[in-house]
Order: sequence, then structure tokens, then C-alpha cells
Amino acid sequence: MLIELKDVNKTYNNGQPLHVLKGINLDIDRGEFVSIMGASGSGKSTLLNILGILDNYDTGEYYIDGRLIKNLTEKQAADYRNRMIGFIFQSYNLIGFKTAVENVELPLFYQGVARKKRHQMAMEYLDRLGLADWAKHYPNEMSGGQKQRVAIARALITRPQIVLADEPTGALDSKTSVEIMELLQQLNREDKMTIIVVTHESGVANATNKIVHIKDGIIGQIEDNRAHSASVFGTSTIMK
Amino acid sequence: MRDVFTEIWESVRRNKLRTCLTGFAVAWGIFMLIVLLGAGNGIMNTTEANMAGINSNTMSVYGNSTSKPYGGFKQGRYIELTERDMALTAGPAFADHVDEVSATLSQSGFMMTYGKRYFSVGLTGVYPDYARMNRIEIHAGRFINRGDLDACRKVIVITHLQARNFLGGKENYDSLIGERVKIGNLSFKIVGVRQAAENENDTEIYTPYTTLKGIFGKSDKIDMLSFTFHGLDTEAENEAFEKEYKRVLNTVHGAAPDDERAIWIRNSFRMNMQMNKGRHILEIFLWVVGLFTLLSGIVGVSNIMLITVKERTHEFGIRKAIGANPWSVMKLIIAESVSITAFFGYIGMVLGMFACELLDATVGSNPVELFGESIKVMQDPSVGLDVALEATLLLIVAGTLAGLIPARKAAKVKPIEALRAE
Repeated sequence: MLIELKDVNKTYNNGQPLHVLKGINLDIDRGEFVSIMGASGSGKSTLLNILGILDNYDTGEYYIDGRLIKNLTEKQAADYRNRMIGFIFQSYNLIGFKTAVENVELPLFYQGVARKKRHQMAMEYLDRLGLADWAKHYPNEMSGGQKQRVAIARALITRPQIVLADEPTGALDSKTSVEIMELLQQLNREDKMTIIVVTHESGVANATNKIVHIKDGIIGQIEDNRAHSASVFGTSTIMK
Repeated sequence: MRDVFTEIWESVRRNKLRTCLTGFAVAWGIFMLIVLLGAGNGIMNTTEANMAGINSNTMSVYGNSTSKPYGGFKQGRYIELTERDMALTAGPAFADHVDEVSATLSQSGFMMTYGKRYFSVGLTGVYPDYARMNRIEIHAGRFINRGDLDACRKVIVITHLQARNFLGGKENYDSLIGERVKIGNLSFKIVGVRQAAENENDTEIYTPYTTLKGIFGKSDKIDMLSFTFHGLDTEAENEAFEKEYKRVLNTVHGAAPDDERAIWIRNSFRMNMQMNKGRHILEIFLWVVGLFTLLSGIVGVSNIMLITVKERTHEFGIRKAIGANPWSVMKLIIAESVSITAFFGYIGMVLGMFACELLDATVGSNPVELFGESIKVMQDPSVGLDVALEATLLLIVAGTLAGLIPARKAAKVKPIEALRAE
């Protein structure tokens, strides 16, 4: 198993203690394309934070590739995030004063890769995503779909074990959304990339091969969706 | 390294005006520091130049009046030094420290005539050592020597100002050597031309001690006794020596042995020591004033960096999410802070040095008329390479300190910030 969550609990203590994750057990295998679905307040964002080593959990165990992710120093956490996880965000989160290629280079910069090498690699990835001509452009000169593809290139450049996408189509129109999801499907299919998408859109979830439903901090139903038959008008989801 | 500078440039470029305004405060601080230190140096240099006429291990002894009654005498009796005191000083009692002893005798109110030109002058009878003890600079000819002294020759050393006047403004002093001038009714031969002391109305004519004494039939009284010494290296040793010296001379003159004021000693070694102390205190004071001026600039940089960090919180969150560790974020802020401080600090430093040069060209080279004397207020007001290096170090330290708090704040940004919508 690539990802193992064993009885993970998380409570926020902002005045009133809020028990957000109430014993999450989840296994995700290498090469899976999974979506985690839930309404807002279901705990899916917290789960994403923990999966992405952006936040700590209180009790339980979380393994990536057999490695226990617990009580890490900030430096270790940064290093793990850098080498094992690629992030795709709803709002792209490109750095505005850096060009597309510089944004894609950034994770390699933090790995200490030499300038020439990382530039060359970044250009390769942009080329793969059809953005070679846009390398010198700044994010505000690009469309949402282009920006998200730059962000995907940035997520992939370190060859991470897991790609975590947080509402990757949340800011895109439906046509571009479909393109981005097809791109993720292609990455999963051709590169055997493990991709976890967190979303509340059933249409997005339907593009994935497995749908994990989370509600009130516990995992409900896990749907096998290899047939992509979970209707956009699915029964247990909230519609967009 | 180049990556770091690229990042800094990207950040600074977005906030040019803000950076420049903050940088101005830093530049101003360093500018003030350099100008203050330069001016301080100038003032100290002037003081030192005024003192330059004295060898640093010479004591000059003068007679004074007693401060307490002793041996049947009332207080306030005037003590006159005599040649016996010279013999005593040179004698075995002080042989451990005293090197050479000399005396001077002065007589003022003479008219010196050369051709149609004349001066009102004072005659000072000296020993040959006088030149070395008082650092007299000879332009032409020589100073009074042992032969002059032994043979009571009627020879004199005049100042370069007098010589220039005799020559009608020209400076070929050599041509005056061997010339004769009249002082009173007597004819004297010029053997040397010396540099007149700066900042003083220095018209003293030097002649052998024995000559002056012989001509004017003075008794064995002397005006001043001076001697060079060695082996007194601390303030305490000097004080002890002076005390013992006074005790011996007081006894000879029938004054109370512990009378501090019966004779008066001017110890150039101690004066130098005190002056160095004074210089040190002045320097510390100027540094403190300069540092406080700089402090406001540094606080400004710190403030601006805090704002920068706040503005870039989301960006730092993104960086951390994709793998930046806290140190690399800290490094970014500290490097930016040091760069801003160092860059503007250097501008301030260069301008400060330029201002020192300007000061030198104006105040420094134009003597000011004060109390009827022309006084140079500042001499060579500038700072040395050491101060420039210290200031550089100071800028780097200050920049680091200014960046420290903002950098810690930046390092504490949680990667979750990246998930927050802008």
C-alpha cells in the first residue's frame, strides 16, 4: 500500500473543541486514481491537509510507502512534501511575479538542483502539457486552464509518489474542467501516477476510478467507479 | 547565490518607492556616523597638532609659589629654579629615569634688526637638546649645538616667518645662514631657520643658554628646567616619580616636602595619555550618537520587512507547501534586509566620506580667527579604512538584526496558508 491511514483523529481547539476527523481508516494503492468527496464541513479539507503533510493529526498512524508520517520537524515535513507530494490547488497558487517556467522550476530549486538542469526539466514538462510557448509568460497573462496546467507541471516535476489535487476544477469553466480531468486521467493511465482529488463535485469525482465518501469526519461508502458510472446526478452527493 | 539575488531583486522591484524611502533612513544614519567620526577626528587632529611641539617623554619643570607654610616661611613664597636644581636632576637621585637635562632662560623685549627690517622678539637661551625635546623643525642651517654652548657664541636660530620677511617674501632660507643681525646693541650670527609654531604668535629667537646668561649677567636662576626620561610607562609610575621629584626639590628650596604646588611639572607623557583617553571617550560618544541615528533607519528596514512578510504570507505558504523549509524562507528575508541595508548604507558611507572631504576643503583648510589667534578648527577630517570596514560589518549585522524578526515571522507561516483562497 502506498498510503495507509489507521484510525486518524484530528480535533481543532479553537475555543470550542471541534472533532473533525473521527477515526479515518483508508488505504490507497500505488497507481490509483481516487477522489475524496464530501460536503463542506465533512472533514475532507482536513484530511487533505493531513495527506499532504500540511497539518498534523492527533492520534492514529499515517504511512506513505511504509514510512510513518508523524511528529516530523518542519524541515523533514518540507522535504517530504517536496519529494513525495505534488500539489494542485483550486486557485492554482502560482507565484505571480515569476514566469511559468520559473514557477515550474521552484520545487527543484528547493531540492538544490542546478539552474540549467532545472530549467531544462521545467521546459520539458511545460512542453508535455503544451505550454512551451508560454514559458516566459507571467500567470496573469494566461487563462485559468493554462495556469492550472502550469500548476500541474509544477506538481509533477519532482516525480512525486502522490499528486494531491484540491478542487482542481473549482475555478474553471466546465469545458476546461473536462480537459483538466482528462489530463489527470491520462497521467494516471500512462504514467501510473497516484492521484487523489478532493472535491465536492460529483462530475469531478466521476472522472476518477474510486470515490471515497466522507461525512461528518468518518469515511462512509467507498465506490468502485472504474466504469465511471457514478452519475453526475448521483444519489448521495450534493450537486453543483 | 544568484538565485537569492534574483529573488531579492524581484521583491525590491515591486516596491521601489517604499524600499528607497526606507533605504534613505539607513543611508542617513551611516552618513551621520561617518561625518561625526570624521569631524571628531578633525578636531582631535587639531588638538594633537597643537601638542606636536613636545616630545612625548619630556617633563618641563617651573618654579611656582608654595601652598603651605614651612620651615619658618609663609605660604605663597615664590620658588625660583636654579642651576643647582639642574645638577640635582641630572644627579644620582634620579639617574634611573632621567636622561638629559637642559634649561632655558628667557628675556623678552628686544628689537632684532636686519637691514631696514626689524622685529620685536624675545630671546630664549637653550641647550642643544631643546630642539629634540620640543620637536623643532629646522628649515635651513642647524640648531644651537654643544660648541655654541661651550664657547658662548653669539649665534641665533630665527623662525621661518622672520626669515621670509628678511628675504622680502622669498623662501631661500639658506642664503640667510651666516648673516648677521642686531639684537639690542649686539651683533648675532644666524645659524638656523626653524618652523614657527602654528596657531601661536611665535617669535622666540633661540640662542645658547650660556650666551644669554653671559650677556645679561643673570644669576644662576633658570626659567625652566626640562629633561627627557625613560622607564615610566604607566600613569601611576609617572605620578610616583613626580611626587618624589617634587619632594627632593621642595626640600632643597625649603618648601614642605609634600607641597604639591611649590614647583610645577608639565609631563608630556601624561598629557599624551590623557589626550588619548579623551580621544577615546569622544570616539565612543560619536559612535553612540551615530549608532542611534542609524537605529531609526534599521527599525525602518525591520518595519518594511514586516510589511513585506505580511503581504507575501500566501506566497510563503505556497513555497512551503511545495517544499521550502523554514530556513530557506528565513534566508530570503534576511538576505533582502541585509541587501537593502548594505546597499543604502554604502551610498550613505560614500556620501559621508565625500562630506568629510568637503569639510576638509572648507572648514579644514581655512583657519578661523578666534581670540586674536588664527586657529584651525579641523585638520584632515576623515575616517580611516578601519572605520569603513567597521561600518561595513555594522551594516551587515544591522541588516541581519533588522531582518531577524520578520524572517522568523515568515518562517512561521504555515503551509496551509497556500490553501486559503487569495
